[in-house]
Amino acid sequence: MSSRPAYFFLLPALLLYGTFVVVPILQVTAYSFFSWDNGIVQEFVGFANYARLASDTVFWAALGHNAIWVLLTLAFPLLAGLLLAAMLAERSPRTIQVMSAIYFIPRTIPLVVAGIIWGWIYNPLFGLLNYGLDMVGLGTLAGAWLAEESSALASLNVVGAWTFFGFCVVIYLGAIQSIDPSLYEAADVDGAPWWRKFRDITVPLLNNSTLFLGLYAAIEAMRFFDLIWVTTQGGPGYATEVLTTHIYKTFFLVGDFGYAAVLSVVLLVIVLSLSAVAFRLLRAK
Amino acid sequence: MTRTAWSAPLALFIATQAAAQDTVVVTQWDQFAQSGITAAGPAMDELIATCKPALNGAEVLRTIAPSIGIRDSYRLAVSAGKTPDLAYTWPAASVLSGYARVGALAPLDDYYAQYGWDQVNAFYKGRNSYDGHVYALPMEQDLMGVYYNKALFAEKGLTVPTTYAEFQALVETLKADGIIPVAFGNRDRWPATNSFSLILGLTAGRALEEKVFFGDEPWTNPAFVQAAQTFQDWAKADYFPRGFNGVGYDEANALFLSGKAAMTITGTWVLQDMIRGAKFDMGVFMLPPVKEGVAPGTMWGEGSQWQLSASAAPEVRNAAAAYLDCLVSPESRKVWVQKGYTVPIGTTPEELTQWGANPVVQEFFTSGLATPDTNFYDLHTTLPESVTQVLYPELQRLVGGEVTADEFLQAIQTAWETAGANGERWIP
Amino acid sequence: MNRFTKHSQTIILAIFALYALAPVYLVLLASMRSESDLFNGPLSLPWPIETANYLRVWTESGFSTFFWNSLRISVAVTILVLLTAPLAGYAFAKMRFRGREVLFAVFLAGLVVPAPSVIVALYGNLQVMGLIDTHVGVILPQAALLMPFSVFMMRTVMQEVPDELIEASTMDAATPLYGFLTVVVALARPGLMSLTLIVFMFSWQEYLLPLVVLQTETLKTIQVGAASLQGRYGVDYGGIAAAGLIAFAPLVVLFLAMQRSFVRGLSAGAVK
Repeated sequence: MSSRPAYFFLLPALLLYGTFVVVPILQVTAYSFFSWDNGIVQEFVGFANYARLASDTVFWAALGHNAIWVLLTLAFPLLAGLLLAAMLAERSPRTIQVMSAIYFIPRTIPLVVAGIIWGWIYNPLFGLLNYGLDMVGLGTLAGAWLAEESSALASLNVVGAWTFFGFCVVIYLGAIQSIDPSLYEAADVDGAPWWRKFRDITVPLLNNSTLFLGLYAAIEAMRFFDLIWVTTQGGPGYATEVLTTHIYKTFFLVGDFGYAAVLSVVLLVIVLSLSAVAFRLLRAK
Repeated sequence: MTRTAWSAPLALFIATQAAAQDTVVVTQWDQFAQSGITAAGPAMDELIATCKPALNGAEVLRTIAPSIGIRDSYRLAVSAGKTPDLAYTWPAASVLSGYARVGALAPLDDYYAQYGWDQVNAFYKGRNSYDGHVYALPMEQDLMGVYYNKALFAEKGLTVPTTYAEFQALVETLKADGIIPVAFGNRDRWPATNSFSLILGLTAGRALEEKVFFGDEPWTNPAFVQAAQTFQDWAKADYFPRGFNGVGYDEANALFLSGKAAMTITGTWVLQDMIRGAKFDMGVFMLPPVKEGVAPGTMWGEGSQWQLSASAAPEVRNAAAAYLDCLVSPESRKVWVQKGYTVPIGTTPEELTQWGANPVVQEFFTSGLATPDTNFYDLHTTLPESVTQVLYPELQRLVGGEVTADEFLQAIQTAWETAGANGERWIP
Repeated sequence: MNRFTKHSQTIILAIFALYALAPVYLVLLASMRSESDLFNGPLSLPWPIETANYLRVWTESGFSTFFWNSLRISVAVTILVLLTAPLAGYAFAKMRFRGREVLFAVFLAGLVVPAPSVIVALYGNLQVMGLIDTHVGVILPQAALLMPFSVFMMRTVMQEVPDELIEASTMDAATPLYGFLTVVVALARPGLMSLTLIVFMFSWQEYLLPLVVLQTETLKTIQVGAASLQGRYGVDYGGIAAAGLIAFAPLVVLFLAMQRSFVRGLSAGAVK
């Protein structure tokens, strides 16, 4: 069979993708080698823009925050999703359907709207969180959440987790339901408690899903933007600055296209490497 | 479906008709809202119609800027090489000079001479100039002041402070009574810049500011340090509500309007919303100078300015200039005040009374415009963008108590020096 | 499992349900307040229940227009993706051709492109193409951004379809395309349904592209409209809440309607 039909099948998708994604990426890469003034290209400078990375403290802080975000997301929503899915798997189908729908609903909420809602919850003056803490007598724990450098990133991560854990539950549930029940029956005969079955049978068999979700989470953690932009815009101070907000500010607010392009290229290289790792690992299975 | 479906062929029709008749079209971008209680969009439309005769057959085609905001979309337009003929955008000073430097804007010196736009005094002209030429026409003006709850003051037997010491005493009295002295929310990062601009001007004075902005005086000079320290002290002494770095600007205003805070320090850009939202008798006073020997004054900034694209054809530019002259004429100013809810540059307090402006508007502008020689700069439309992006987070840290005044000013100084080395500084 | 374990598990499941739903409940409450009496306790039940916010936001703030714009764009993007991605997925899954691995890698690489990185270059290109301030200028890039994931998912789904069936159909059929349509589309239904939902959701929720590309008020989408309500100087929390609900309610409805096939398709596409 000749290759021709295949190329016709591919053409529409390739054309769309090429024009609106690949070409801009190549353009931005090209931008990074020039100096710019207010959005007008000046002259070719080779790697001069890249040299600025070393001394850009905001870049390193942002990178650190992205890394922390990856770890937090792996620790909390992923684990929670796993546990919840395992717990749910043993309930009635009706319960499974209802609960997984409930958990998934936050995922349908656009990050822009989620940012606004949670901004209200965290509001120091009239937010639900401080109000709730006051009500149960833990008023001293009340804080400025998004306003304090020590708690801002974690508080935002709770929002990110809120949109993500339902997705994990759904994926894990699907995988669990394809596990051979006889494996559990054997463990039951031995009198194994729930958590032991979970740890020794469920978790290892879900490795594929964990890998997929883990890498999905990691890549998302590098490229997310909307949530931070609608809430803190990188503040207070630099506490919630991430690579994408730094890129946005450098492009639009400072107008330094050359350096913003450099940051974009670096970000792309990081996520591409992560995905290459992902692909390699997934293929090996 | 109808409006968008019709607009395309209709626009094409108009364009072809225009081309056929050789009508000059001036494209205009602005960000006046069309809906909302204090929307100035309708006033803009009205003025386009009334100013049409002045255009000698040319037309103004108005577009409201993209949702991303006119500031960001103008930058995109400059880089894409396709700017609108006329844009009413912000900030002036370094951002404007940046565009002038790359040749995106047409100089307006000749038009200033031709039409005699003298209402634009030296202060404002400087803010809209670069390298000796003027590149924009500012229209609106904004001042800062202290909004206060007159009813609450009366109830507690408090008087408007005339010295800084009195202001401090006033705050302490309010605190003792369990009332939040000053509503303030810096989650959006820019409110602190305004507050700091005010404190800075009242501590350092305009002359010293100009030595720093246009000369070689470092940011770390003693008066500036005192200003930064004052701001931080205010935060430490609970002048502001708890967790202010996480409270939004509108929320802080709502706090004031609900009567839970006695004062709020902000500007005239939000006057109309304050007037409408206040259920109590509201007044405005000017913050007294913080440092001994500094003259009274307030922060004076322009809302936005009209800039002309360098790529606009000469006929278009002439038409635009004639149009602008009409927009800033006394007759038009009356429309801006009465229907646009804004006070253009050149409007006198007498005119405000004459035209029936709200008493609070009159009060604000009468006090603010009384000190034109000592009114000072708004930091965040004065500094180069790269420095502003350092100022925002560093200010959050300063008032959050995470850095000292010296560290704060040192960070600004470093960013300032880098910007200077890159040629980003605004020199009028 | 003993009773204690079962009960504690139920509690945990319930706590997470609370975590998931509490913010949604809050928005619901806020949208029904008649005045923005923010400082009177976030949980106080509004009485009487006001639908005025919804009406106001729908008519005065132009949300009815935004809603239809979002709908139009998202439907168009979905259709575009459904017309292009399955074909490509099929080609990668079942057809042999030169450069198959390389081209697939090129598609995969695009999975991770962050919008802020390319938006400036994209804007310039759209400007040249005359697509600024048009819906097409949003539809095409959004579909393009979805290509990597969609093609990847379609390939995975198509790989499940047994080769024998395809061979059988292509022997009868005139062209590979016919074979593709009759057999594969029928068999890959759950996967296609999941893709539909995912694409629609992504397009509906997307924020940065419409923000940058669209200028005319009457063209804007619902996310942009909802976010812009927050920026103004006035505080209209009831309105913002109502707008937020309008902004995501359709997705909830869509998800609930398609839940089963969505879940099936998602797990299948993701994990294999």
